[in-house]
Amino acid sequence: MRTVVLIAAGVLLLLAACGRKQTSTTGTTTAPGGTKLVVAVMPKLKGIDYFNAVERGAREAAQELGNIDLTYDGPTEGKVDLQIPFIESWTLQKVNVIAVACNDPDAISPALKRARDKGVHVITYDADANAEKSGREFFVNQATFEDIGRALVDEMASQAGEDAKVAIVSSSPTAPNQNAWIAVMKRYMAEKYPKMQIVTVQYPEEDQGRAFSMTQDILKTYPDVKGVFGLSSVAFPGAADAVRQAGKSGKVAVVGLSTPKSMKEFVKDGTVKTVILWNPVDLGYLTVYVAKAVAEGTLKPGVTEFEAGRLGKVKVEGDQVLLGPPMKFTRENIDQYDF
Amino acid sequence: MTSERISSPRPTAWRQYGREMSVGVFLLLLLAYFGTTPGFLQASNLRDILINAAPLTIAACGMSMVIIAGMIDISAGSVLAVCAVVAGLTAKSGAPLALIVLLPMLAGAAIGAVNGWLVAYLRIPAIIVTLGMMSVLRGGIIWYTRGEWIGNLPPSFSAVGRGEVGGIPVPVLLAMGVVLLTALLLARTPLGRHIYAVGGNPVAAGRMGISVRRVLWLVFVLHGALLGLSALVYASRFSVIQSNAGAGFELLAISAVVVGGVNIFGGQGTVWGSAVGALLLQVISTGLIFRRVSEYWAPSVQGALVLLAVVADALRTRRLGR
Amino acid sequence: MRVRLPRREAVLLILLAVEMAAMQSLSPLFLTADNLIEVVRQSAEIGLIALAMTLVIITAGIDLSVGSVVGLSIMVMGMLWEDAGLPIAVSALLALLAGTLCGVFNGALITAVGIPPLIVTLATMAGFRGIALGMSQARSIRNFPEGFLWLGQGYVLGIPVQVWVLAVCALLFHIALTRTAWGRSVFSIGANEPAARLSGIAVNRLKRQVYALSGFMSALSAVVYAAHVSVAKPDAGLGFELTAITAVVLGGTAVSGGEGGVLGTLIALLMVGFLRSGLTLARVPSEAQDMMVGLLLILVVAIDRWSRKEKG
Repeated sequence: MRTVVLIAAGVLLLLAACGRKQTSTTGTTTAPGGTKLVVAVMPKLKGIDYFNAVERGAREAAQELGNIDLTYDGPTEGKVDLQIPFIESWTLQKVNVIAVACNDPDAISPALKRARDKGVHVITYDADANAEKSGREFFVNQATFEDIGRALVDEMASQAGEDAKVAIVSSSPTAPNQNAWIAVMKRYMAEKYPKMQIVTVQYPEEDQGRAFSMTQDILKTYPDVKGVFGLSSVAFPGAADAVRQAGKSGKVAVVGLSTPKSMKEFVKDGTVKTVILWNPVDLGYLTVYVAKAVAEGTLKPGVTEFEAGRLGKVKVEGDQVLLGPPMKFTRENIDQYDF
Repeated sequence: MTSERISSPRPTAWRQYGREMSVGVFLLLLLAYFGTTPGFLQASNLRDILINAAPLTIAACGMSMVIIAGMIDISAGSVLAVCAVVAGLTAKSGAPLALIVLLPMLAGAAIGAVNGWLVAYLRIPAIIVTLGMMSVLRGGIIWYTRGEWIGNLPPSFSAVGRGEVGGIPVPVLLAMGVVLLTALLLARTPLGRHIYAVGGNPVAAGRMGISVRRVLWLVFVLHGALLGLSALVYASRFSVIQSNAGAGFELLAISAVVVGGVNIFGGQGTVWGSAVGALLLQVISTGLIFRRVSEYWAPSVQGALVLLAVVADALRTRRLGR
Repeated sequence: MRVRLPRREAVLLILLAVEMAAMQSLSPLFLTADNLIEVVRQSAEIGLIALAMTLVIITAGIDLSVGSVVGLSIMVMGMLWEDAGLPIAVSALLALLAGTLCGVFNGALITAVGIPPLIVTLATMAGFRGIALGMSQARSIRNFPEGFLWLGQGYVLGIPVQVWVLAVCALLFHIALTRTAWGRSVFSIGANEPAARLSGIAVNRLKRQVYALSGFMSALSAVVYAAHVSVAKPDAGLGFELTAITAVVLGGTAVSGGEGGVLGTLIALLMVGFLRSGLTLARVPSEAQDMMVGLLLILVVAIDRWSRKEKG
């Protein structure tokens, strides 16, 4: 029994020591309450290219501004119930600003409200919370669902024709962004390209292999499909790979959203002509600038314009800070971006 | 339960391979049903099904050995992710083909050795070891790669996933090879007989002079190496490698094995059944898209079909038993 | 065997205390009422499932479908409330019924057809999730009435409501398991099923009850979860099964059946929750937390094994 306890204590001290080491390497041990502004930024999930780019922008801004102590953490899976504990723990630490990309607008709101009630500033980016229930101050909006949905459909119409039959390869069937884009796309198609037709929507979850084999199956089941939308950073390369390996590069258009880095090869060999995305580095950068301005009180309701470092003047509409229109990455410019 | 089965009289051919045959019949029925949709039975589609089923088939062979030995592996999906990243990084470093094949298998075997050591020598139940290992590896792979995909792979890499030998795709050849070798291993070698013995009744196996620990450890090492090969076949079909691949892959592999008639309590079953099981799962997933089944209902149809295969088999063995 | 039970829980408690001390040394904010209460609140949904899972595992079974039962029953509740216009209380009760029926279905396949629990619940895991997605067409239901949200966001005497729910359930489970003939039968099934059958225990009926209970507790967890996050989505509960199983086995319930208890499960639940919370407060990145939870599971079980070997 005694040995057991000794071993147990040793093991846990070891764990604690690991923890210590981790903390010191991230270099963010400065206690809150000093002159530094503590900003906590949370992605929807860690470990994907897109949010790595966001983190890079956030760190760039924090360094530029100098007096920011930045914490960047979040769950390793995109689930809202895993995001809530981070909010609670940051609230307890009394960080100055919390910036969240929400996995669900309603579910996260009570936790954000509690943070607000305890005097923590709250902003959202990438995906908004319920503005009223959460009491969040600003939403850093990279591009509206409307903008993205329309840009995707317009791009498809120009590549595959206005009467093309198209298929969608999405993410999980409950992914909020993807579903919002699909809703906009359907509406906009009916308005502007009534002859365009969506033959099927498939959900490969976050699995490259399934995105690949589902696209293969789509191409065979619907031989007259002229275009495939890949709506996530996993679905898009998976779909492009399937089209390329079926020898249909150039015959079946592949349009979608992803980081340029993961799509570079397909853009270079012509399978994919355009990748649509806003600049995630700029999004992280802008988010930290907004966080600082909100904490210092320079950005408050009624402001219509806002100076954000290298981004220059950024438009503010109501309680939304706008990053600007989505970007298009093509063979000509894709080499300039390394995210 | 297991002891009853072992003491039953020597099985006839139908009894011995009954499970495998009934899964085979089920597969044929499904093929006939999906075959009524145009294009499904085309050679090119059947070929794609075989290629797409190859990684799962290879993993199912290893998983069969693990389950026959009375163990289980929940960490298979995260091992796949680790090995896929190892394969990609090796290929990118310009290593020769032999190393690209060998290193992921070694990585898988190493993880398997750790799992096996914890299970066999520390006697921690396999489900706990591999459940813990799953979190460790998933966290570790994100920590190491930061989630970045591996691109710019050399053409030699795709030779594995997309190449052909004598008109047969390499993944299919590899899968067939693995099925054949593991089947031979299980049926014709002392180690194979020991695996069945350990899975059927570890205490009795120990009394017969079999080193139960060594057999279990070896099973996990072999299974890990096969997962490495499976990861290589999986990853080399694509132009970029997802660093966090294989979520839920372990459940798929276990499904393939149990649908194929391997007794979940160990001691019974063959890799032939598991290979047919893996093929069956791929046929269902492709077939549902061809039949244009609503995407939302697809998972429940899939679950129901798996259940149907298992229930049919359970009822059949019951009748035989009486 | 029964004499040894309190000892294992004592070991777990000591481990928990050491862990809490370590976490406190990492962050002085760890041992505050606010933080500890929040951690327990975040663990409540998994806790409810883990209680029933403890029983399932004591009978040497397993239930992988619990997460999907959460998704199915949460959508039953949401759709009955929004589409059929039933009062939320009635919808919630019917959701409990739906979850119980899922459990009954599992139990029937396991006992009547004789398919191993792992296989049955692996298949129904996909099946129930598909039904949740199919009947709701993957939409989510929001704007539940305030009174209902109290269940997941309110407080009674400073303690969150769902923690009270968990405490009451845990007490009931503990009493049923340790103080009743029913509980002893559950243990004896797991310890030696043929012997239990011979001694006149209605093994199949008891197993059906245990799986029905697992379905019921999953549905209860779903109702609490809906009130906690104020939204019903068909992907609710994804992955709950592994977190619940982790808590149960970490708590010392043997996967081979016949041994264990809900107290160990609760302590283990807190161990995982406190570990994550302390590490988050210390700003340890979440992927490192995942790794440590995995290591913790393997280490604690290894220590448990080893301590028993020591005692012989």
